[in-house]
Amino acid sequence: MTAVAGKKSGSAPSVASTRRSMDWMALLRYALLLMFSALCLLPILILALTALKTEAQIFDTKWSWFFAPTMANFTAVVEEGNIVRNLNNSVIVSIAATVLTLVFGTLAAYGLARFDFIGRRSFGYATLLLRTIPPAVLAVPVFVIWAGWHINDTLFGVTLIYVALNLPFTIWLLYGFIEQLPEELEEAAAIDGCGPFGVFWRVVLPLLAPGMAAAAIFTFRLAWNEFILSFILTNRYTRTLPASISNYITDTGVEWGKISAAGVLIALPPLIFTFVAAKRIIAGLTAGAVKG
Amino acid sequence: MSSRVASHVPYVYIAPAALITLAGLLYPIVEATKLSFFDWGMGTPWESARFVGFEAFASVLSNPHVWTSVGITMAFVLISICVEMTLGIGLALLLEKPVRGMRIFRTIFVLPMMVAPICVGLVWRYIFDAQFGPLNHFLTSIGLAPQLWLADPLLAFLAIVVTDVWQWTAFVFIMVLAALQGVDASVTEASRIDGANTWQQIWLVKLPIIKPILIVTLLMRMIDGFRGLEVVYVMTFGGPGLSTELLSLHIYKAAFVSQQLGQASVLSILLLAIMTVLSLAILRTGNPLAARRK
Amino acid sequence: MERRDFVKIAGATVFGAGLPFAGITAQDRYAKYRGQTIVINYPAHPHYDQAEKLFAEFTAETGIRIERDKLQYLRMKDRQVLEMGKPGGGDYDVISYVVMWKTEYVAKKLIEPMEPFFANAALADPAWDQRDIITGYWENITLVGGPMGYLPGPGAKPYGVPFGAETSVLGYRADLLQKHNLKPPATYDELLSACRLLKDKEGIGGLTSRGQTGHQVTAAWLMHLAPYGGLVYDSKWRAAFARPEGVRAAEVLREIVEMGPAGIPAYGFGEMQNAFLQGQSAFYLDTLAIFGPAQDPAKSKIAGKIGYAPHPMAARKAGMTGGFGLAIPRNSKNKEAAFLFIQWITSKQSDKKIALSGGNANRWSTVNDADLARKYPIETPVLREALKIADPNWRPLIPEWDHVSQQIIGQALPSIITGKSSAKSALEGVIGPAEDVVRKAGLLT
Repeated sequence: MTAVAGKKSGSAPSVASTRRSMDWMALLRYALLLMFSALCLLPILILALTALKTEAQIFDTKWSWFFAPTMANFTAVVEEGNIVRNLNNSVIVSIAATVLTLVFGTLAAYGLARFDFIGRRSFGYATLLLRTIPPAVLAVPVFVIWAGWHINDTLFGVTLIYVALNLPFTIWLLYGFIEQLPEELEEAAAIDGCGPFGVFWRVVLPLLAPGMAAAAIFTFRLAWNEFILSFILTNRYTRTLPASISNYITDTGVEWGKISAAGVLIALPPLIFTFVAAKRIIAGLTAGAVKG
Repeated sequence: MSSRVASHVPYVYIAPAALITLAGLLYPIVEATKLSFFDWGMGTPWESARFVGFEAFASVLSNPHVWTSVGITMAFVLISICVEMTLGIGLALLLEKPVRGMRIFRTIFVLPMMVAPICVGLVWRYIFDAQFGPLNHFLTSIGLAPQLWLADPLLAFLAIVVTDVWQWTAFVFIMVLAALQGVDASVTEASRIDGANTWQQIWLVKLPIIKPILIVTLLMRMIDGFRGLEVVYVMTFGGPGLSTELLSLHIYKAAFVSQQLGQASVLSILLLAIMTVLSLAILRTGNPLAARRK
Repeated sequence: MERRDFVKIAGATVFGAGLPFAGITAQDRYAKYRGQTIVINYPAHPHYDQAEKLFAEFTAETGIRIERDKLQYLRMKDRQVLEMGKPGGGDYDVISYVVMWKTEYVAKKLIEPMEPFFANAALADPAWDQRDIITGYWENITLVGGPMGYLPGPGAKPYGVPFGAETSVLGYRADLLQKHNLKPPATYDELLSACRLLKDKEGIGGLTSRGQTGHQVTAAWLMHLAPYGGLVYDSKWRAAFARPEGVRAAEVLREIVEMGPAGIPAYGFGEMQNAFLQGQSAFYLDTLAIFGPAQDPAKSKIAGKIGYAPHPMAARKAGMTGGFGLAIPRNSKNKEAAFLFIQWITSKQSDKKIALSGGNANRWSTVNDADLARKYPIETPVLREALKIADPNWRPLIPEWDHVSQQIIGQALPSIITGKSSAKSALEGVIGPAEDVVRKAGLLT
């Protein structure tokens, strides 16, 4: 229990002053939370508002909360060029990357956690180290290698690099979860006659659902949001949404209305995910770091 | 259990992941190293690339712009982290007691991390816009002078720090909060009985207990800071001057603006070296793989 | 063949050759390519926004379909180089290239020379008239192989067609000039003194300018370099920018920054233009792309108060040249259809339509057109004068220029405009690197 600041332990505060000070602290807490929340939400709100403004309203040097909204930017973005194609590409790549990462990652995490084999340490270390590779470091060689393998400008190529980028984190995350599962369950199933894969499939996987959900969200988030590698590895057929947003940064300035509208479209799925699955996300973030 | 399965079974489990990691992460690193020994312009066939040995390394390492970029990146990471850790830990300590509706608040806090970095860079570029951004409008409305945020080297640097703090403070907060809530209450209670006041409880009891998590959080933020590219790409593109030229952006520019793939590869190796040092630091402080198996 | 057919054919040959049956001939020209699809790569840029509006018309008239690849300017070059470098065939049939890339593209054998297409009677439109294209644009954007590699002269051949090219104009606040009884500046001295006066009396910036470190500040300096008689490299490729003319131009730029709206050292193109359009500066001296936004009430607070004049002179009259041109990649699979598109979109009719809707005019006939003068009464007369002084040697159009502009000169100028170093010392300090670059390129021996 946190003692109230300034009060020495041992002295029993009167009931009335405790309640007053506790109310005061609670109020402070709420105020902080509200303020912090407002700060978090404000820019996102600004993005949405800008998407609803006309060019004249945006270029007005007096920024305003109140204005007559217009859907013109959204209409323009949706009608323009290849937005449907880009959206499709984003969806395909994100889902494919998530599924593949989950499948391969879960398998690998289980293998790492439950078996001992030559190369286990190296694989484990590699997983930990490779988690930290910056996309910028990958940009040049992947650009060259993918072209050599003729998978640049393909959705497969983009998906592949996203899976590669996400596997280390996913493996690490799920490793932590598997670690915490009691082995007795698996041993019991093995005794019952399940082969090693059966144990994995029937006993471990269902228990891993929360971890897998967290991993899925993170993978989807990266695949959906990622800009720079997609920018480099796609052409007009395979471009994903974030890469296409750069078209609104023209030679002569930024088309703020349209780019905000496109930005809202891009931000929407992760925002929805967050509201639906915040608990999972937080569980994923804190897993492994916090030993319960 | 491990003795009861065929020896090939583990490899089946890790094979797909190992393969993809090899192809998508390790091979590119090898390739980047190879490319760093060549002088190769974008768009020319590979046959025309010249082998130059360590010449590219020498030219990159002696280029003052590169070191400026490294310095800027380090300053960016250090300052952002300090602010994020301070704010995050402070908030977590203040909000340690369960509060009603905490779940909603935590959901909101997670939002900035989930929004695409390119959108984050975009909206903050707009906010900081000197001519019609809401920030300057707000400043003038309360009587302060509007600033040329993205125009001034120092202010632009500040702007990207602010953006990073906005996105990631909540991450620190969530991590530290989870850690604090895992602290055994009886330990703090014991110290309180021993006469420790609130400050002492925090500094001498709570923080030391959660030190491992603090370090992990710190290192995770450091690593993410060095990876950052998309936000700066759209906010300032490294300007004004080199004041926001993060190393990852410098690599991108070397490759796709100056079109020098060899030089870009050398820079990539440099960044990778820095990252490896940081990751090894993480490994030293808490390797989950270490003590588990024989 | 029946006798009737023979007469028909003979008659058509005789009459068709001599009479302006443009429609029939045009259909013949496009007939072979009806149904093909060409892919065009072009930037997100106001001029091309106007051009896009004609795509449907082109397809309706010719039957050739268009697939668009619009890209952010920053990524155009490496995407183009990637596609044009593919041995079997690339994605693009028409590319829009920035003038600075022309020598590189030709040196790497990535684009086709244009003359064979224009000489091909089956494809060429006799009414196209190359001499009608603005001379400065033609020489600047399309010619490669001449003196210094990029100038008109012996050996120069066209490798593209200008489209989205531009020159510079001086824009001024007619209301403020009238208020203080100033006439539009014709020389730099007049401009600078007008800036001083208006800054004192009106409290607004004098001349808005680009200033951001790198390309932007170099472009700003180049604006004044040519009028003051300076060059970046001389004809032997020695660095000439630190000679008196270059130094003077840098000093003029510093004065302009001092008297300009606050924040110039960070201004990119957008900020510079906005400062003028939002009324924060009295003058504007940059690309004529200002014409469109200036009259747009959504973007401009000063619509109706603007006047234009040609680029002021100092030692000589010299306007900027720059912008885009259209070229055909060597590995395109639809070169003829691509050429037909280029020819069509740069024809007299198309050029007029694009200019009337606010795009950049490409032809003398367009700028002399009565309809254009009627729609843009203030701009058109100035446009005519400005185009006459467009200087094709406004900057060195070599592949290395990107690097020199961004990393060498663009890093030396910032300290000059903020007063931290003298123009002479800062510019002299980068002679070495600038000459190293052209030495490595084999230009300076």
